[in-house]
Amino acid sequence: MEEIVLRELVRLNAHLPKRRVSLKEALEKPVVELADGGTHQFRRSELELLKSLLPEEDWDSLKIPILIEMDPKLGRGAGRIRGKLECRVVAKVLGKQEREELVLYLPELAELRGKLQTTTEYLFTA
Amino acid sequence: MTKAVATISPTRMELIRLRRRIELAQKGHDLLEQKMDALMMEFLGLARRIRVKRKEAFGKLLEAHRKLLRCMAWMGTAETIQASLETARELELEVSSRSIMGVRVPMVEEVRARRKPTERGYSLHTGSALLDEAALQFEETLSALCGLAEMEEAVRRIGRELERTRRRVNALEYVLLPRLKSMVAFIAFRLDEMERDNFARLKRIKAMLEGREWRK
Repeated sequence: MEEIVLRELVRLNAHLPKRRVSLKEALEKPVVELADGGTHQFRRSELELLKSLLPEEDWDSLKIPILIEMDPKLGRGAGRIRGKLECRVVAKVLGKQEREELVLYLPELAELRGKLQTTTEYLFTA
Repeated sequence: MTKAVATISPTRMELIRLRRRIELAQKGHDLLEQKMDALMMEFLGLARRIRVKRKEAFGKLLEAHRKLLRCMAWMGTAETIQASLETARELELEVSSRSIMGVRVPMVEEVRARRKPTERGYSLHTGSALLDEAALQFEETLSALCGLAEMEEAVRRIGRELERTRRRVNALEYVLLPRLKSMVAFIAFRLDEMERDNFARLKRIKAMLEGREWRK
């Protein structure tokens, strides 16, 4: 049973991309390769939304997918967003005040995932 | 559980090893619980969106059937069926996939269901404006149904993953962790017992040595 659990823990972050791409790159080619060998396609409408939220000079700096860090220390169902541009975009999408680091709770996370289904991804940290 | 407890050796090394295993299992349990919460959130969000989308798609379908009936009444059933047989349909879809926490779900990016009246294949001379309207409405319904199918498949796959993750969490919570904890409790008890044993033995030896010296 422990082996199964260990395998599950190894697999936990296998859905993340090998390399995050910039918004500019994603607008040209909206696909990323994942660590598990698969591919993940970004929805064009979401990329357009992100594009509209940032000035053109920042398109190269915003890395997507935006990672939502799920840390058990934050409590059940809470996630953290790091990165200046990532936080700016998420704050604008949710209508929140911009901060260096954002901690989102279940209703906000659900709203964010509803609006940015393909351009956000969960990262599980211990 | 008793069988597992009976096979372990009550040593300090084993105790340290077991405590490490508990720590790992607890961490795994917390992480999987986080994953389960996230999956549940996705599942509920999708289910909510499906409800809205289904209502919208069925509304469109109802309207399309209404328009078809109107067209049949105006043009005649046989003529409408004839026109439908003349139309050849090859639906162009752009289907890719996205990953939700490792669950691969299909993504329908673009459905090119709408066609110009000249592309539909039936004769424009024999058809009427009502036929065009019905065809257009069905094409729009088709787009909505494709979107609905994407969501329903996603929710089905997320549901399966949710069930699997819940099984793992439950196995950790109700089987592995209690078993490891009972092993730790058993070893701790045995070590305490051995310590008490040693203490009593030493006391006895001391008393014997003191008695021998006193007799001298």
